Amino acid sequence: MTRVQSRTQTTPAAQRETELAVQGQWRVVVLNDPVNLMSYVVLVFKKVFGFNESTARRHMLEVHEQGRSVVWTGLREKAEAYAFTLQQWHLTTVLEVDEAH
Amino acid sequence: MKRIEVKLALPVVAPLLDVIKGMVDSLQQSLAAPLGVRDLEPEFGASWTDELVASQNADLRVLLALFNDEFFTEGVVAFDADNAEPIVRATAAVRLRLREQFLRQLGDETLESGSVELEQLNEPVRKAFMCYLFLATVQELIIQHLDSTILES
Repeated sequence: MTRVQSRTQTTPAAQRETELAVQGQWRVVVLNDPVNLMSYVVLVFKKVFGFNESTARRHMLEVHEQGRSVVWTGLREKAEAYAFTLQQWHLTTVLEVDEAH
Repeated sequence: MKRIEVKLALPVVAPLLDVIKGMVDSLQQSLAAPLGVRDLEPEFGASWTDELVASQNADLRVLLALFNDEFFTEGVVAFDADNAEPIVRATAAVRLRLREQFLRQLGDETLESGSVELEQLNEPVRKAFMCYLFLATVQELIIQHLDSTILES
């Protein structure tokens, strides 16, 4: 099942572009919000990604100070699974294509 | 099983329950945090949202179940391995909705610092802010005492 929406479904080139995007590397990015407590965000990162305390705190501080943190990079399907779980924990999450790969 | 019991001041907390219930009602059909992934196929995105809302509602039911007969007779609520995780998530959901519906006017910096002059707020906003603080305290308590329980579950 292809879950990424194709921008144009008429041209094979666009379809190929979508397929490549799905196969490529994606970043899971958590965005800052003014509500969730720092301790809560640390807990979520430890729980969802299995981070240790210092890694979880580093990502939390990145979110807090820079407005966003890339918490995971990899295949689209797993990135979606992480985004879903983070959304269950009410953290605003976006997926971005990792241009470096 | 690790369990913590907390005695709450009934006259302070009971009036906040109406606010919490109001937020829970408003969350029945919508997500507390906006869906950030926007390039999903429409059908898949709708099914994602439905599943997330269902999971959010399940958590909110656990939160409301805290305020049972024991709470109304003795002011006691109990947290354990079964309810800690859903309650931590549910309190986050309710706090996000409180901000959206009542607390935006305070500004995000004020909200983050918590330095608010309660006397200067009108009644609904004051109650919403007290509720917001109460739920943060509940979250902190659970994270402080049941962190390992949540991580191991």
